Amino acid sequence: MSDPTIKDFEAALAELETIVKRLEEGDLALEKSLELYERGVQLSRFCHSRLEEAERRIEIVNERGELTPAPASLRLPDDEDE
Amino acid sequence: MVLSVSELNATIRDLLENQLHTVWVEGEISNARVWNTGHLYFTLKDGASQIKAVMFRSAVRYLKFKPEDGLKVVARGKISVYDPKGEYQILCEHMEPKGLGALQQAFEQLKKKLAAEGMFEQSRKRPLPALPRRIGLVTSIDGAALRDMIRVLRRRYPNAHLVISPTRVQGEGAGREVAHAIRKVARIEAVDVIIVARGGGSLEDLWAFNEEVLARAIVASPVPVISGVGHETDFTICDFVADLRAPTPSAAAELVVRRKDEFFAHIDRIGERLDAAMHHRLRRMEQRLHTLEARPGLGGFEGRLAVGGRHVSELAAALRQRIGQGLTRRTRRHDVLRRSLDQFDPRHRLAAVRTRLVARDGLLQAAVRRRISRAQSRMGALAARIDGLSPLAVLGRGYSVTWDASRTRIIRDASTLKSGDRVSVTLERGAFDATVDAVTADRDAVATPRRGGRQQIE
Repeated sequence: MSDPTIKDFEAALAELETIVKRLEEGDLALEKSLELYERGVQLSRFCHSRLEEAERRIEIVNERGELTPAPASLRLPDDEDE
Repeated sequence: MVLSVSELNATIRDLLENQLHTVWVEGEISNARVWNTGHLYFTLKDGASQIKAVMFRSAVRYLKFKPEDGLKVVARGKISVYDPKGEYQILCEHMEPKGLGALQQAFEQLKKKLAAEGMFEQSRKRPLPALPRRIGLVTSIDGAALRDMIRVLRRRYPNAHLVISPTRVQGEGAGREVAHAIRKVARIEAVDVIIVARGGGSLEDLWAFNEEVLARAIVASPVPVISGVGHETDFTICDFVADLRAPTPSAAAELVVRRKDEFFAHIDRIGERLDAAMHHRLRRMEQRLHTLEARPGLGGFEGRLAVGGRHVSELAAALRQRIGQGLTRRTRRHDVLRRSLDQFDPRHRLAAVRTRLVARDGLLQAAVRRRISRAQSRMGALAARIDGLSPLAVLGRGYSVTWDASRTRIIRDASTLKSGDRVSVTLERGAFDATVDAVTADRDAVATPRRGGRQQIE
């Protein structure tokens, strides 16, 4: 998921909050309101997908600084379906 | 028998070095200086007497504290004589501060030094990322601390991506290793925050976390570092320099990321406000237009009427455009929303978790129930959004828009029409062309709905 107009989760959340405040103040032209609303929907969708996006995974950095999978002993019973 | 000076000094040296092979001496350090060879030269004194002292670099290396003037110490060493000058001194092999333990002393000294450099300043501390993409864990691979953290993180944020940078956390050189492990994990892409952790232990056990090399690695880290070392009552240098101090490893895991369902609830609340604000905005505009239209005698001034700083006609044009584009746009939006609704379909979630539910405690069950109801309310909100968005909803209530034949102008005044004119009418679904039969210019005449209903603009 990459949207060049959205930097990261934090930026998206902050922008979304600003948009809601502006819309709630309510003295915007209709066109502008609709534009902000659409952006708001886009941002909230981005936040949602970011929350689901992270991979359920445990890795270990080895001596050479590379990522390797964690040994089974570190996984919880839940992780079996990974 | 007469001795030469050299012979005398040699004899004295033999006597002293053999007789005083190992001595313990207590005194105060003064004139301490480390030469660029790394050797430490100083004087040990008490109220009435003093002796020169030296400590070689090989021994200085193992000092846990910095020998400073005025410090009372107990030193172990042997007497050595420097023949060429006829001087003797004590060659220190080991030294400990008197009073405070050596470690405590070192702790206080380093704390003072780093504080003076501003390394504990609140202003230097970085805020934690709201949602770390990956979480770096710097700790021992087989410690209880790691297991505790994994358990807490799994509970709070089940799909968290963890990157462990294993290191020794105790023993000689552990501070350097922990520092190295921090640098290593900080270089991994998307690691947005690091937890440095170790379970409880004695001051000696926790020593690595009081080493300067570790403190500097934390300060130099490109991403924020949370310290979760020892128990609530243990304070280490690592705690002071970290961007956030957690009392224990588990607490560090609690602080690093918000509970996932809290995140969702937060975003959904904002989403609901967004919908409500937009809905309200549309509703208000609609009402304003209707109010204006319902005012008798304003028909002729309509073109000059302004709503919210814009001409009514302009607003109408905006609406018209929306109606035109709305359909295709809405179809597209609908698909997107449909897909996201599918994502939130509780049935998918249920299937995935049901198999695990059996063996788990009530906590998880409650969490799943919350999650399902959240998904359901989310579906409801999204469905409402699809409907509430479009001005087409207005047409859905039975209104229609009447245009001139070229569909470039909205007919607002019946007196601009005459019998036989062609007009075009937009309805909620579709449009039709028509010919005017008769015109009633007087508005009041149509104030009460007639057979066939009243033709209303917008």
